[in-house]
Amino acid sequence: MKAYLSVFRMRWKMELQYRGAVIGGIVCQMFFGLILVSLYRALYAGKPQALPIEAVASYVWLQQAFFRMQLSSDSELMDKIRTGSIAYDLCRPLDLYGYYYARILAQKLLGSLLRAGPMLLFAFLLPRGVGITAPVSLPALIAALLCLILGLLCTCALENITMAFTMRTLDSRGVQAMLNLLMVTFSGNILPLTLFPDSWQRIITLLPYAQILDAPIRLYTGQYALGEAPRVLLIQGIWTLALMGLGILLWRRHQKRLVVQGG
Amino acid sequence: MAFIEADGLTKTFTVRKKRQKGQLLREKTQIRALDALSFSIEKGELVGYIGPNGAGKSTTVKLLSGILTPDGGTARVGGRVPWQERRQHASHIGVVFGQRSQLWWDVPILDSFDLLREIYRVPEDRYKERLNALTEALQLGELLRTPLRLLSLGQRMRAELCGSLLHGPELLFLDEPTIGLDAVSKLALRDFLMQENRRNGTTVLLTTHDMEDISALCSRVMVLGHGKKLFDGALPDLLARYDTRRIITLRYAGEVPLPQLPAGCACEAEGGQYKITYAPDKLPTSQLIALLQSAGDIRELTAQPQNIDHLIAAMYREMDL
Repeated sequence: MKAYLSVFRMRWKMELQYRGAVIGGIVCQMFFGLILVSLYRALYAGKPQALPIEAVASYVWLQQAFFRMQLSSDSELMDKIRTGSIAYDLCRPLDLYGYYYARILAQKLLGSLLRAGPMLLFAFLLPRGVGITAPVSLPALIAALLCLILGLLCTCALENITMAFTMRTLDSRGVQAMLNLLMVTFSGNILPLTLFPDSWQRIITLLPYAQILDAPIRLYTGQYALGEAPRVLLIQGIWTLALMGLGILLWRRHQKRLVVQGG
Repeated sequence: MAFIEADGLTKTFTVRKKRQKGQLLREKTQIRALDALSFSIEKGELVGYIGPNGAGKSTTVKLLSGILTPDGGTARVGGRVPWQERRQHASHIGVVFGQRSQLWWDVPILDSFDLLREIYRVPEDRYKERLNALTEALQLGELLRTPLRLLSLGQRMRAELCGSLLHGPELLFLDEPTIGLDAVSKLALRDFLMQENRRNGTTVLLTTHDMEDISALCSRVMVLGHGKKLFDGALPDLLARYDTRRIITLRYAGEVPLPQLPAGCACEAEGGQYKITYAPDKLPTSQLIALLQSAGDIRELTAQPQNIDHLIAAMYREMDL
């Protein structure tokens, strides 16, 4: 376990090497946040929706702040698989799934934390209806945080499945483009899931993508009442375990059929 | 039972070729990287593993280190089947792939070493001792705090080697470890490997194209071609089998015809210079030189040393590789 922790720390260190990239990312996400909020305000000016604009704005800002939890991948890891440097990782007394899970977790966690702080601060300073609002209650905030942690574990399991596919197809860009499309659509990144028709929402909120950020945001803004938290956490937990199980299975299978090219 | 025991190892790869005009599907060919390869290596041996490009050397290393699974045959290393007990096996071996990197690109190499320490669970005091010995032997002291990306190729290779030896493996696979090293580092590395082998009884399987490495280090050589073992024995025996002839080049002062040479010698003349190929075991060198001297005044004479690379090249040609 200690070894996996060290891998986590190492990836964390690496993330901190390029601070310029972090600042660039923050500026970009702020810009996107402002554009999206303006868009929804324009929509509301024409035809007000059932959902208050404040909730939509909060949703957008939380999505942007934790953007890196969803759409980011360890390009170095993919290169390793593509070029065959994975051979070295296979010479370690470690389980490959756990090794890469630790790497992915470090990248997503630190990537989000570095960006979320300044982003949320910025969003709190904006006027009501444009910026983010405070959580509905303290218990709701705690539930949302718990939910966010489970969401993080879930998204890492999802990402590790993509990595397993990379091992199969070598070039993951095709698979990744497809999966990213699903991700931005069904995670609420493009359009808040709360604005989808109710009949759609009943299905979409059960998908793994909704577990990553949509569920914690709904707890934060009060769209999910506190009483619903156990149900939400249960669904998240089930998905996380299922995705991890699938990932471990895929890695095992692909490892046996592995070909290390070049050299 | 020997320390490494390989029996009938077979591995086939599928290679897809670019579609030719008029072809509907891509052509697939099966390449037999290893063809029923068997050998055994005792504990503490230093074995050189040579063969032309694509002979299956790296594939053997990958099988024995548990990275790949063979299509057929078995192997046991220290009683373990590498690809079935990969994790268990991994803590006992060290691998250097000369063409790949195991250290982290963006962080100082010392951080990468610390990570390796944790992964292999090396006790703190043992790690310090080991790191000191290695940094001294490989002259890494100054570089430990430098990120890998700022190192030159040779410096990086030295760091990679250090990384693979930190946990004191009982078996070391070296896949072209001297790529990009300068003369000083190469010699230092050879010394170090020698010591490692003598002191700790580390078994080494060295894959390389650098024949100097082999002749300096290895008491035993295995030659691989098209996935089959072609030779297994001492290096001098191998060379003796293929080429024992030497070459003498000479030039006389003035026009002097070459004396009649005994049978078994070949001679090429080119612009007053003679190139004589002879077999020293049949015609002693001193006798040949005396004969040449009797014909006239010699202005220039060079005896070419046996060029190991030429011999190996001739050997590969002869083996039709």
